[in-house]
Formats: sequence, C-alpha cells, structure tokens
Amino acid sequence: MSRTVAGLALLALTSPAAPAQGLAVKVGPQLALASYREVAAGLRYQGTGFGGALSARYRKLSAEASVVRLALDPASGSAATSGFTATEVDAWVAYDLATYASVEAGFIRRSADPELDAQSVGAVRIGARSFYEIGPGATVLFRANYLAAPKFSGGGHAGFSIDLGLGLDVRLAGRLYGTAGYTFQRISRRTNPGGTGEIDAAIQGTVARVGVALAL
Amino acid sequence: MTRHVCALVLLAGVAAPAAGTAQAVQNATLGRAQQAYDNLEYRQVVSLARAALRERLTGAERARAYELLGFTYGALDSILKAVDAFKQVVLIDPERQLDPNRVSPKAYSAFDVALRQVLLVRQLRIDSTSFVGGRGAVPIRFTVTQPARVVTRAIGGAGAGSYVIDSGAWNGQVNLSWPARLANGDPLPAGNYTVVVEARLGQNTSSASQAIRVSHGSVDTLPSLTSLPGYQYLPETEVPPQSWRPLGLAFLYTGGALVGTLGLESSSLGSSSKRELAVVGGAALVTGFVMTLRKPAPRPAAANMLYNRLLRDQIARRNQDIAKENVARRQQVQLTLVPLSRPGGAGPR
Repeated sequence: MSRTVAGLALLALTSPAAPAQGLAVKVGPQLALASYREVAAGLRYQGTGFGGALSARYRKLSAEASVVRLALDPASGSAATSGFTATEVDAWVAYDLATYASVEAGFIRRSADPELDAQSVGAVRIGARSFYEIGPGATVLFRANYLAAPKFSGGGHAGFSIDLGLGLDVRLAGRLYGTAGYTFQRISRRTNPGGTGEIDAAIQGTVARVGVALAL
Repeated sequence: MTRHVCALVLLAGVAAPAAGTAQAVQNATLGRAQQAYDNLEYRQVVSLARAALRERLTGAERARAYELLGFTYGALDSILKAVDAFKQVVLIDPERQLDPNRVSPKAYSAFDVALRQVLLVRQLRIDSTSFVGGRGAVPIRFTVTQPARVVTRAIGGAGAGSYVIDSGAWNGQVNLSWPARLANGDPLPAGNYTVVVEARLGQNTSSASQAIRVSHGSVDTLPSLTSLPGYQYLPETEVPPQSWRPLGLAFLYTGGALVGTLGLESSSLGSSSKRELAVVGGAALVTGFVMTLRKPAPRPAAANMLYNRLLRDQIARRNQDIAKENVARRQQVQLTLVPLSRPGGAGPR
C-alpha cells in the first residue's frame, strides 16, 4: 500500500505541469536558517526554523507569500540570556515591467514570542526585483524593498529600512521545484526611552530558506 | 385533263392513310372503317369511324380514327369538320406530321389549320454534340404552334436540380443555343437530365421533353503545393551555443546580494552572519555552473520564423493561383451530350 502511495506521489511530482488558463501556482515547505541582531553588537541570536511558501503567476502579475517560524537562541558570545521564537509573514504582489524586472509591493510582519524579548515589526514593502532564467527551469532573482512606515512593539521609528533578497528557483523534475531564498534586513530604528533623548536601536537580520515546491 | 389531276390527287390522299395502316389496328370497327376508306366509301367511313370512337380504343387507334375522319371530311369538302378531326389527332399525337407530297392539299391545309388552332410544343430535337466547356453550345430545336411564353429547362443531374435554359415569347420554329454552363461558369454536372419545353398561352399549356445524358471528359487538375522545390522550412527555435552566461548571471545576482549586505550592515551592530548568504548564494552558483554545463534551452529564432512565414505566404499564393487554374480547367472540360431516346411529346394539359 505504501509503495502504491509512494508511486502515485512520485508520478504526480514528476508529471509535467499543466497551468490552468495560464495560472501557475507553486506551494511547498521550507527550512530556514536565521541570524538576528538588535540594538547592540552583543545582542545577537541564531537559529533555525521551518515554514512554507506559496507563489502564483498569471501573465504579468505574480504574487508570493511565505511564513516562517524561527527558534532563535543566543549566539556564542551574545549578551542575551534567553532565546525567543519569531514568526515572520511576508507577502508581495508584483507586476512585470519587462521580461527580467518587475515592481512589487507587500508587507512584512514579524512577531516575537515572548513579546518583550525582541521587537515585533510590521511594515509595508515597496520595491523592485530583477529575475533571469539562467537555464531551462532555473531562475535567479534579486530583490530590493524599502520598508515603509514600520511599526515596532517597543515603539520608536525608523528613518531607513531596507530588505534585500536573493532567490533561486530550479525545476528538479516534472512539477517538483527546488527553492532557495536569502533576505538581509536592516532597520535603522531609533527610540527615546524615558524621554532621555533618541538612541539608535537598529535591527539587522538575515534569513535563508531552502525548500521544495510543487507546481499545481 | 382536270379529271386526271383530281384522280391523282385523290389517289395520293388515299395512299397516305393507307400507309398509316401499317400501325396495328386491333379494333374491328376501325379496321372496317379503314377498309371502307380504302374503297373510297366515305359515307361508310364516317359512320364506322364514329362508331369506333365510341368503343374502347388505344391512343394510336383513336388518333387513327380521327385521322380517317379528317381525310374523309377533306375529301367530302367538309373542311371545318376535317379541321376539328385533325385537331383531335394532334392533341392525341402532337408529333404527328403529314407529308405534303403524299396527302391531298385539302387534307394538308386542314391539318395545318388544325395545328395553328391548338397550342403545341412539338418536334423537340436535341442533337448529340461534344464541345469544350465555354467554347460551344448545345443546339435545341422545337416548334410552338401558337405565340406563347415558352420556358425551357434542364431538370435532373446528381442534385436533381432545375436549370433554366431559356425563357421567352416564341412562335413557330425555335432554335436555341445552350452553353450547358451554370451561373458561376462551371459546366453542367455530368448526369442524366430531361430537357423540358413548356409553352403557356393563357390557360392553355403544352410541353415536350427530351432525356439527355451529359458526360465530362477527364480534367488534369494541378495538385496543391505543400512545399516549394528547393525551399524548406527552417526550425523556428534554435539552441544557443553553450556559454558561461548562466554562471556569470548567478555570480552577478549573488554578488549583488553580497555587496548589498556588506554595504548596508549597521556599523553599530557589527558584521552579520554570512552563513545564510553562503547557503543560498552557493546554491545559486552551483545552479549557474550546472546550467553552464547543460545544453542551453532552445529559443525562438526570429529570422527563421520570418523566413518560414514568407515561405508559407508564397506557398499560399501559389496554391491560390493553382486553385484558379484548376477552376478554369474544370470549366473547360470536354462536354458530351447525347439524347437518350426519341423526343417524348406530352399533349396540352
């Protein structure tokens, strides 16, 4: 029985994708690596997690969404005494301006648990991306998003926030794709604790996601 | 001398009806009438012929009885009665014709008057003919005994269609020339047809018909082209030569991410971890390297597509010319037209 199920699953994965009405949808799980720094160089975390991603394309319109849950622990030499769990939700909607470039908009929402162990952040993404097919079924992507109107659970504001990304999408067999994504995030947060004057409380993190996706 | 001439004319008048007896006369009364006519016993002919007409007769016998009456009344100088009798003859047998050299002038003139008083289409003749479509015509001849509107049609063929050959007002001998073509110029399809001539004068109508067979000669049409000799379609996709471009692009994108990361790192937070970038960037570089080694994906060849389109257009134009040529060849087919049987006459209706 299990062999039959495995055979059917293999057949579904390796059979060629047939986009319905030009709509291509991919969905799949991801594993993640992350590092996170906040306020000072000594307050740094590293961890792993898992999540999932969904992407869809219809002609020049495309959309992506991903969720990842990270368990971040103090890195070696960190001043932090305990770790926390971060859940990050990202979403984009993009429109192709050319065969290799598109503009995009979306949002990011990262929440920390316990809530006071790290900053929870929410912001609007506005940016652009470039993508190129480097081979049959293989596409690389570079993304730059400005994080507008960020909100922090600990208050404060950020004059400059940016999110850079590198992506890779490779068709492994039939409907099965391998995906990888890297994001670097820098938020120049400033806060005024107790009214004593503004101080820098920057946030900087990197996340790498590796997974597979099934084209529907 | 005059008596001799009259006797000769009378003999001639007698000779013609006697010739008509060649047709089998089954009815005894009519046979006796014929015998009485041969014996110049005209009074007895009238009574016997009228008695025969009251009996059951075939069409030919009935026509013969009226014809005997016509000749007899002519011999008795009863011209009006002779005309009436001959009218009955031509109504029964529209094709009936008297030989002016063998019948008395009185009888012939009475017959002629009778013909002019009845609307008839007679003596329809269609000769065998053969000609190239568009370069000949079928002669059609017939006689209309009174001025009338005459419509000539060909009915039949594979689709049991009706094709108007002529429509006009005619009187007397009519000669038509029929090209045997349809409205679009195509020849009349091969098959069996009936040429029907219908005359109408007020309430009176008369028609005659003739069956014909139309056959076509062979036509050497040109086949359509699927390709032009010496010209072949080119592949509309081409595989570009292998290059380092995939690896170069992977380097470019990965390098962009690395430079961006290094450039945007906060000085107060220090250098961030590079293991995430190493994982994804490494994967991108490996993929780029693999793609460099792989056979590149085919891409559209614009020049070949343009060439193929021109070739297709050229073949389409040539096929249009061939189609026109084939239409002309089909229209110029050898047409052979043969009448199938003797003209059938249908009397007035």
